[in-house]
Amino acid sequence: MRLQLRRSRACVAGWWALVAMAGASGTPPPAHADNHVTVRGAYYRESSTRVVQPVVEVAGDLPGGFDVATQYLLDAITSASVAAGAGGNDAIFTEVRNEVGLVGGWTGDRGRVTLGYRYSAESDYWSHGISASGSLRLWGDSATLAGTLGATFDGAWPRNATPNCPGALQMFCALRSYFGGFGYTQVWSPTLVTQLGLEIAYLDGYQASLYRAVPNLGREVLPSTRLRAVLIPRVAYYLPRTRTGFQVHYRYYRDDWSVSAHMFEGRVYQNLTRDLELRASYRYYTQLPADFWCDWIARPDCYQGATVYTADPKLGHVGTSMPELKLVWDAVQLRSVPFFAWFAEGSFEISYARLIQNTVFGDAHLLQMGYTLPY
Amino acid sequence: MRETRQIAPSGPARPLPRLRLMLLALLAVLSGVAGCAHRPPPIQPWQREYLSKRALRFDADPLEDRFRQHMFGSREGADGGYGHPGGGCGCN
Repeated sequence: MRLQLRRSRACVAGWWALVAMAGASGTPPPAHADNHVTVRGAYYRESSTRVVQPVVEVAGDLPGGFDVATQYLLDAITSASVAAGAGGNDAIFTEVRNEVGLVGGWTGDRGRVTLGYRYSAESDYWSHGISASGSLRLWGDSATLAGTLGATFDGAWPRNATPNCPGALQMFCALRSYFGGFGYTQVWSPTLVTQLGLEIAYLDGYQASLYRAVPNLGREVLPSTRLRAVLIPRVAYYLPRTRTGFQVHYRYYRDDWSVSAHMFEGRVYQNLTRDLELRASYRYYTQLPADFWCDWIARPDCYQGATVYTADPKLGHVGTSMPELKLVWDAVQLRSVPFFAWFAEGSFEISYARLIQNTVFGDAHLLQMGYTLPY
Repeated sequence: MRETRQIAPSGPARPLPRLRLMLLALLAVLSGVAGCAHRPPPIQPWQREYLSKRALRFDADPLEDRFRQHMFGSREGADGGYGHPGGGCGCN
């Protein structure tokens, strides 16, 4: 198994070298902050998990080209199963995760730089994340070259148990992640934009679930390092005559656990009225499993003698599809309505999606609502 | 005394050295790039009306992107690609 992993990593390293030589790149250029307040909520429901996630974001410009944005997010997870995918022993509990973020930016004549910090905490997990990004406008402002570097430092400890992560000198299992990405966006015409992105992440530390177990073997064991690469080309086109827009996204993922995945997403934007826009989208995802993964339900002995084993459904064959509808309404018509005129400068949005999954998680409903008010 | 010019015997033409060919190719590529550099930008300021449309922006809703990354990261094995480092979730 160890030899297989080594060979696999060498293969992935070669693939990365090719991609890097191709000069691809693609995180979206960091947008300039404008003065706004956004309130947003998401409700996610599947057979064993329900998540309610409210978010508040406030952003404002400062003198000298500086700007700042701060964000607070709450994840309330109810009726979740910590043993998801392990078949049985589902434990119903409620988990709350708090996240705060702060991003400062400076915009100059030709580019922009940002620094960000994020802290997330829940009862058995914490995470600190830092990131720095920069973008440069090129070719008469018809292209943008952007890059991002980041790192996260996570810690996990099980409730009412001793951590079983190897090498844990403290009472938690540590995970360090390093992240880098490049993006190139090109405007070809007043109605055609393309983007190419490349991201690489290296994870070092405890990556298994604290609770998920494989029958007869105990808590799952995963490799301690993981190298991930993502390549994303995107195209956007707009038809002014019918006020219709199209976007096509593709994402190719590969890591040194031999997980490879393709994602396609198509979006159609249609202005129904001057202030109301409809977005219809469809996302399709397919994934090949990790080289050490086996279907222990179908073949109970397949992990015999293995040093790495998992019952994680998302490391196996995964296929999902998600149709979604979204409405965005610029509320200018509220200007003449008493009291509600306060909201007339902003825009409301609502969306519904159905996530169809081939894993034990089952299908899910996703409802999102939001309001953004510029000030 | 006038020198007598030696005429090379006729035969198959010698191929250009590979290095010279590469230099010629490089010169051609650089000429092309230089030509591009002097072309006017494809989009003038007065042609940017549609570029602010959500349909032509890949970063129109970063909060939605962030939520999606979090959701798919806990349900699919392939994470990343949205300009943010992962982490911050014990949902592995």
